[in-house]
Amino acid sequence: MQVSIKWLKDYIDFDLTAEDLADKLTMAGVPVERVLRMDEGLEKVIAGKIESVEKHPDSDHLNICKLNIGKEELLQIVTGAQNVKAGQMVPVAQVGAHLPNGQKISKGKLRGVESLGMMCSAGELKLDTSKMTEAELNGIYILKDDVEIGTPVAKVLGLDDVILEFELTANRADCFSVFGIVREISVLTGNKPHFPEIKCKEEGDESASDLVKIGVDAVDLCSRFSARVLRDVKIAPSPHWMQERLAGAGIRSINNVVDVTNFVMVELGQPMHAYDYDHVAGHSLTARRSVEGENLHTLDDSSRLAKGGELVIADAEKAAGLAGVMGGFESEVTENTTSIILEAAAFNGASIRRTARSCGLHTEASGRFERGVDVTSTCKALDRAAQLLEDMGACKTAKGIVDAYPMEKDEREVAFKVEEINARLGTDIPGEKMKEILENLGFSVIEYGEYYIATVPTWRNDISRMEDISEEIARIYGFENIPSTMPKGEVIRGVESERGEFMGEVRNILSRLGMTETLSFSFTHPELLKKIRVPEDSELMNAIKIMNPLTEEYPLVRTTLLTNIMETAARNFSRKNEDFAIFEIAPVFFPKSQPVTELPTENQMIAGLFTGKRNDVSWSEKQTNYDFYDVKGVVENALDLLGITNYTVEKADHFMLHPGKSAVFKKGREIIATFGEIHPSVAVAFGAKNPTFVFEMSVDVLMKYRKNNYKFEPIPKYPAITRDLAMLVKETVSAGEVLTVIEKCGGKYFKGATLFDVYAGKQIEAGKKSLAFTMTFRSPDKTLTDEEADAAFNDILNGVKTKFNAELRA
Amino acid sequence: MEEQIKNIQTEAIEAVKKAMSLADLDDIRVKYLGKKGSFSAIFRSMKDLSPEEKPKVGKFVNEARTLIETEIQAKNEVLKENELQDRLENETIDITLPGRAPRLGHLHPITLTLNRIKEIFLRMGFSIEEGPEIEEDYYNFELLNLPKDHPARDMQDSFYITEEILMRTQTSPVQARTMKAHKNNEPIRMIAPGRVYRRDDYDATHSPMFTQVEGLVIDKGITFADLKGTLELALREIFQKQVGVRFRPSFFPFTEPSTEVDISCVMCGGKGCRVCKGTGYLEILGAGMVHPRVLEMSGYNYKKVSGFAFGLGVERIAMLSYGIDDLRLFYDNDVRFLNKF
Repeated sequence: MQVSIKWLKDYIDFDLTAEDLADKLTMAGVPVERVLRMDEGLEKVIAGKIESVEKHPDSDHLNICKLNIGKEELLQIVTGAQNVKAGQMVPVAQVGAHLPNGQKISKGKLRGVESLGMMCSAGELKLDTSKMTEAELNGIYILKDDVEIGTPVAKVLGLDDVILEFELTANRADCFSVFGIVREISVLTGNKPHFPEIKCKEEGDESASDLVKIGVDAVDLCSRFSARVLRDVKIAPSPHWMQERLAGAGIRSINNVVDVTNFVMVELGQPMHAYDYDHVAGHSLTARRSVEGENLHTLDDSSRLAKGGELVIADAEKAAGLAGVMGGFESEVTENTTSIILEAAAFNGASIRRTARSCGLHTEASGRFERGVDVTSTCKALDRAAQLLEDMGACKTAKGIVDAYPMEKDEREVAFKVEEINARLGTDIPGEKMKEILENLGFSVIEYGEYYIATVPTWRNDISRMEDISEEIARIYGFENIPSTMPKGEVIRGVESERGEFMGEVRNILSRLGMTETLSFSFTHPELLKKIRVPEDSELMNAIKIMNPLTEEYPLVRTTLLTNIMETAARNFSRKNEDFAIFEIAPVFFPKSQPVTELPTENQMIAGLFTGKRNDVSWSEKQTNYDFYDVKGVVENALDLLGITNYTVEKADHFMLHPGKSAVFKKGREIIATFGEIHPSVAVAFGAKNPTFVFEMSVDVLMKYRKNNYKFEPIPKYPAITRDLAMLVKETVSAGEVLTVIEKCGGKYFKGATLFDVYAGKQIEAGKKSLAFTMTFRSPDKTLTDEEADAAFNDILNGVKTKFNAELRA
Repeated sequence: MEEQIKNIQTEAIEAVKKAMSLADLDDIRVKYLGKKGSFSAIFRSMKDLSPEEKPKVGKFVNEARTLIETEIQAKNEVLKENELQDRLENETIDITLPGRAPRLGHLHPITLTLNRIKEIFLRMGFSIEEGPEIEEDYYNFELLNLPKDHPARDMQDSFYITEEILMRTQTSPVQARTMKAHKNNEPIRMIAPGRVYRRDDYDATHSPMFTQVEGLVIDKGITFADLKGTLELALREIFQKQVGVRFRPSFFPFTEPSTEVDISCVMCGGKGCRVCKGTGYLEILGAGMVHPRVLEMSGYNYKKVSGFAFGLGVERIAMLSYGIDDLRLFYDNDVRFLNKF
């Protein structure tokens, strides 16, 4: 909705600047989005009269003009335009002007002759050129002769106006009209509006009820349908003042009839439609539901097939238009029209919205119906339209209105207590003040015992209870005048859910371990799942479909974070970011059944990815790539910090991972973490040039195994003894297996063993490798002797000898 | 003999004075005080002395030895100190070489912003509640007074899974769920942070997925003034400065009265700039007094208690706090961007 200050001032006086008015309205809940000055750029453009035109001595195509701009001296301007003649009145941009097209005017010389301004073309003034003739478009835009010299061109062209662009909320249907806005201004300024008297002459001889039949079949979709008949219609352009008002409202002038229907719609908020009487079959109009497959020939000359159920206005033969959205082709008003049926109706907003949406047609009219019109205003609108056309001498109005109004609307009353309103707002507004505010807004208010009873004005469909009244009072009283307090009442301890806190902890831990958090959309694509090699029969393929995805790119809700983290990595690769460690914590979604009938299972997952170099370029260390043990180390550390211990490691069997370089951690049979190098074909699919590793864990699974209460263990009192053990074993023996045996044979003083060297190659027998452990022994209550440590060491040595045929390496 | 001792003493002290290094000093120690040193020789020759002379000479020797030892000790200190000074003067490194830093991890700016907001509300006694991201129409819309034909429910705005199930478009359904979980008009103070989904084109200010924080306070006698006080405090905490807060009347189906809350522009301080489009204010959140129907539908008696609710966009707050001008940076996950936080 937009309207010009001039139009508002037709009906109310105010001294506020446009900006101040916009502010006041905005702060009262009638938000002005933009204040647009129509004369922007025309401030230094005035009307001037060409006194003489001479050829430029050094040019064939330049003219030297002397202009009277109302100053003592004539102004000299050199122009290339060929349509200039002495005696013409033209727009003159003076030096310093900054025209609407961006051009800045400064003193200049053209081939040696001084030029002190510019005469402007329509384009340079950014005028609406859509209706201009070729002659008007080319060359200087010539003004009318009777224009006074020196008048600002903005005024000459009717552009000395300011437009307010409203961004109205859905509840304020009443403000989609000049009358509505004027009512608000009246309440805010205290000035009384002076609305025009609406009255038509009805000079026609016939009665409308003899000329046309109006019916409403779909009572639930059309609560009122009123019509007038206009005879002796003369289609012509509408008067200049009306074109100007409409232009200010962003509506292009078509002809007097269309302009009047638009004018009344903006003025009163009541959309209207005009039918060519002679092309309405049977001279009857009925509001009914369409039949599926019914042909609708709309005035954009396109054939639409009704889905069935849309509200249409039908004549005796066919649907003659989509109610409230678009009229019909055959009954459109044309130059040859001589009689008109004017329609003003109240259609059901929801129904109009559905129709407008399905046709992709959102018009000024449909927008107003969607929000709801004042059902009592149809006759007033018809009278106003007839009056305006009569005043133009464009018609004779047939007597009376044909009005189908199946269920007359009752007045709505709302009862409230002053304390209730104050208790809701936290204010101390006296009852008298409340009454005054409401009365200014068009309510009538009476006192009834401890209650006030407010009768809601017909144009306020949004008000039905005390709370709505409280808003009216608050917005006019001023939100800024309501105090600021803190809620009273019991102190409640604020808590976060255990899971929420746990997830926060995981985020902190992973970032402490050098990983960067990412955030991706919860969507995926079947191809993406295939790219990470999800097998066809995996439940991950059973992703939930979105009925109306935004793009073809993301038709599904994700079942795994691994697709997203690979996409994130690939996007970084494409930007030459090769080295990073990233993670994401987010939910994945599994349907309980397909098609979906109930809410899916949402699992919070943790995924991480390492790729490229683990350290930055440095003078002191060589750059090395992340490897399997980086992922493993981070996962181990994270688990440790979360209090999860005593898990086993096994080879992983995971579609996305390299089978020889991947593993899982398990608690009993349950996998708590999966990690490893990505499968070479996944690496190719996502453009990973360097070795890339991922891990995946489930928040709920981890939470099951965490120990919340860490118990402090005192720092040992007695020193430990260490012994190193280097042994040769077969290459197929894993370090993990050896460690298990060491732990088993270590005895009561054994505190742990750390692998510090793995070696195969020179000096080692083929098929064997050397493993070296350093082992720690300690007693809690004495200093161990070397003999005791040696004894334990020998037990371990014997153990690995027996189990693995290990040889002690010298 | 005493003469001899005196000479040795003088000679030794002279030598100590001349000693240039700890090694020299060590040689002197051996030469005079060592097992084969001068004094040892004198001791050996003492066996020929008379019993009367022996203690006298012995005392004399010991005094001389002590004196020399003291001298050596003193010189030793001086030489050590000199040597340390020499070493310190010669030992230097290039302090301009860059330091060694382990690769750091970073939390996402949205997480950081959300953590701040959570912290502020936790301190004010709000609990943090959660709810499903795929939600029933009933909770997402209906219980919030958004009946089936409300414009906000257009297919264009929501991602639907079925007619009745959709990706939640707001965190407000958590409100309804939390209210339903409480009985007997129990007071509530909660926020519900989380991801929400709208069928919006992806551009500098819109995203099909973004982060919202919903808040709800219900108790006896909660007023619009309480809403103002609470949000003013929270916004000043979030932006860590005395931002101006402005309340404008607005409309939401689930609140009455409703308000749009603006803060004075954090970029220009209210003078008007590109970010605030010259208005000096930034729209930051929507709020209002909970609509009685919303209370009623979730089992609260609106005649006994009242409440206020608010919803704020975390991306917007993060953009303003960090001066980010394109929302897509958050979901782009370029590590060069993320590693700055």
